[in-house]
Amino acid sequence: MKITGEIKISDNGFVFNSRTGDSFNLNPFGLELLKNIETGKDFDQIKNDVLDRFDIDDLTFEKDFYEFCALLKHHQIISQDDPLDFK
Amino acid sequence: MSKQKITIAVTGLNNTDNPGPGVPVIRGIKESTVFDARIIGLVYENLEPGIYMEGLCDRIFQIPYPSSGSDELIERIEAIHSSEKIDVLIPNFDAELFSFMKNEERLANQGIHTFLPGLKQFQEREKDKLEEFGKKYGVKVPGSLNMGSLSQISDLEAKFDYPVMIKGQFYDAYVAQNDEQVKQFFHKISAKWGFPVIAQEFVNGTEVNVIALGDGKGNTVAAVPMRKQYITDKGKAWGGITLADDKMMELTRNLIQKTKWRGGMELELIKTNKSEYYLIEINPRIPAWVYLAVGAGQNIPEALVKLALGQKVEPMTEYKIGKMFVRYSYDAIVDLEKFAAISMNKEI
Repeated sequence: MKITGEIKISDNGFVFNSRTGDSFNLNPFGLELLKNIETGKDFDQIKNDVLDRFDIDDLTFEKDFYEFCALLKHHQIISQDDPLDFK
Repeated sequence: MSKQKITIAVTGLNNTDNPGPGVPVIRGIKESTVFDARIIGLVYENLEPGIYMEGLCDRIFQIPYPSSGSDELIERIEAIHSSEKIDVLIPNFDAELFSFMKNEERLANQGIHTFLPGLKQFQEREKDKLEEFGKKYGVKVPGSLNMGSLSQISDLEAKFDYPVMIKGQFYDAYVAQNDEQVKQFFHKISAKWGFPVIAQEFVNGTEVNVIALGDGKGNTVAAVPMRKQYITDKGKAWGGITLADDKMMELTRNLIQKTKWRGGMELELIKTNKSEYYLIEINPRIPAWVYLAVGAGQNIPEALVKLALGQKVEPMTEYKIGKMFVRYSYDAIVDLEKFAAISMNKEI
């Protein structure tokens, strides 16, 4: 799972896809997740970090994270060679 | 280095909600680093907003519609030329291009330079010939049916599913969801633009556009891809953003190379969800959003003037990605004298 080359991420959460012209606003937590994906952190690292900091169970996190990733994929912000690869 | 003094005549000053490209073309020329241009505005109507924009044109002349006859139009241009000494003429309307292309040599003999597509290039990209154009140049185009009468609705329904696009030869396009709407749009368009009315397969996707300039030898001198971000009810871009899209650029360069396109052009494309590109239209002139290309780093009007004058132009390959334009409307307060002058004297 990686961020596609045309994506520009601003520190204020504004995300621009220069190939499609689409833009998106991320809240601070969405931005943090995207930055983690950008820096190549794998799913377990991201999950453990979130579970340490927030009162959330791992199943709920997994469900929300996959949903977030599906949305990123739909908008061509990330690409996955393997649809089950969340690393 | 001092700038070259030059007189440039430009049409299309109708900066309305269906804007002509004249005003942004002039803005590009005024930002030229090589030309010090004197601008002659050529208008068809006495309320074209460009007439009243301060600092835009040095002189304004009203000209007759091409529908009055090519000779009448060209004779008027020649009369203006006798007092104003036009070096370059940039026509910006589809409907007038034919007259100027046909008289290119006559104008050139008097020192009026143009840089327009050839008649063959102009005609083979016409909307009613788009299917053959796509086959000839290897570009995906939607299927189409040229309609001369409503009896062809059954042919249309055999060929396409609804919705279908119903288009005029020069302007206007509507999405028809059923045969009743086809009839309605057929009458509306044929009354305004004549026959054929073109029924085109509806391709689902995002509309994207490229502005480009070909040197007539197969080279792409300039090209900038854009996506409309805000579209008016007339389908005109009221906001847009430049894109980084290699496929669009490759398609443009291939098309210019194969057609040896000469002059400005706009490719209207539909990008499907599978990232396929369908060419839905080629406008054989600079589009009204040309100033976005200027702002993104490619001064297409300046390059076109250089080409018209036979000067060498290096291809522009870089542009700023993510550059936007946002149009706005503005009320200019005008003295009656100016309106009276253009209405009565046909010149200011």
